[in-house]
Amino acid sequence: MAYADIAAFFPILLKGAVVTVQITLGALLLSTVLGLLLALMKRSPLTPVSALAGTFINVIRGLPIIVQLFYIYFVIPELGIDLSAFQASIIGLGIAYSAYQAENFRAGIEAVDSGQIEAAKSIGMKSALIMRRVVLPQAIRIALPPYGNTAVMILKDSSLASTITVAEMTRAGQLIAASTFQNTTVYTMVALMYLALSLPLIFGVNRLERFFARSRQGADQ
Amino acid sequence: MIAIDRIHKAFGATQVLKGVSLEVAAGEVVCLIGPSGSGKSTVLRCINGLESYDSGTITIHGQTVDVRRSDIHALRTRVGMVFQRFNLFPHRTVLENVMEGPVFVKGESRAEARQHAQALLEKVGLAEKQAAYPTQLSGGQQQRVAIARALAMRPEAILFDEPTSALDPELVGDVLTVMRDLAAEGMTMVVVTHEMSFAKEVADRVCFLYGGQIVEEGTASRVLSAPQNARTQDFLRRVLDH
Repeated sequence: MAYADIAAFFPILLKGAVVTVQITLGALLLSTVLGLLLALMKRSPLTPVSALAGTFINVIRGLPIIVQLFYIYFVIPELGIDLSAFQASIIGLGIAYSAYQAENFRAGIEAVDSGQIEAAKSIGMKSALIMRRVVLPQAIRIALPPYGNTAVMILKDSSLASTITVAEMTRAGQLIAASTFQNTTVYTMVALMYLALSLPLIFGVNRLERFFARSRQGADQ
Repeated sequence: MIAIDRIHKAFGATQVLKGVSLEVAAGEVVCLIGPSGSGKSTVLRCINGLESYDSGTITIHGQTVDVRRSDIHALRTRVGMVFQRFNLFPHRTVLENVMEGPVFVKGESRAEARQHAQALLEKVGLAEKQAAYPTQLSGGQQQRVAIARALAMRPEAILFDEPTSALDPELVGDVLTVMRDLAAEGMTMVVVTHEMSFAKEVADRVCFLYGGQIVEEGTASRVLSAPQNARTQDFLRRVLDH
């Protein structure tokens, strides 16, 4: 493992890391919005709405993420919608993870004490306001640890974008390894750089979790 | 003001209310007492539509209480409720808890709502706790905040569902003092309670429920000191003995 090699590979991998972070953030944002929407739809008293959300969640969970990526990257353009590989990877991962996010949020919403909803009703709040002011702020705190874990999984699974030609970190590593045959050096670097991204995220989530645990201590009395 | 006329309610196969009727006049304090499972909390929860009822009617100033009607929300702003387990919003400060309804339900300005909330916290003896979170308060303090939160809506009546049952004995007094003051100011109150001394001192009327029915009703001194019904006598003997 020559230092010269490391110095030469690092800028290339770093460029890939930037793309990895962009895909992760994009997919996290999309999965959050879609997941919340799905969680609320699934709780809807209108059966068609909740059934639609439930079916969507099951279909998405039943498909390998890589197949979803291929579908979005190769099939959607045939319908006349042009997507870059980068866009396709964000949309694919975002949709794939929205199903898991929906379950995170649903569990969080259901964990909010029913007394909270009664108290909100007793001061005249309607259901949308109760959701916005009382349930969601508490559900988000409850859902935060699983949400953080999902973020870590999205970060790792962003490597799947390499299969649809996105030059993120794994793909950058593959390209260097293929041309230099320095497999050990390259993939060790790639692994360490993933850890450099994921470990702070894991520690950050743990800290937030402790912070929220303090501020809502005994909230259920 | 509150008129309950022969309401029935069943949870599945269990008939919990079997024709309860009760009239509460403005400014009156009515205490509902009875063993657990007698239906007293259910009656209370039907009054502001937290529970639906199967038959009979409940009206507030002539307006029917019906969970399925869209005016139920407006109705609830007129009848406050205080819960056994306080149910303060844990993610908001004491002041925010009290301001929540006026600002977000009634659309009052923040400045106006804050001023009123601070005055109410002063009234329940917690002015200095306005920036605290509920979890930083004792149970008795939390319950007094909950009373302030109900008062912030300027309700015509307040329902109390065993407001002191979840409190350590030494914290009960402060909550009862606040309730006593409210009664003295003429607030209409319906109180489900096990505090017989409070009922005796403050209630205009006491209703004893047993098996989903009001089996005895009268002035506090009459029902509590000279009960006629055997069930009431038995219940009071148990409660006062322990």
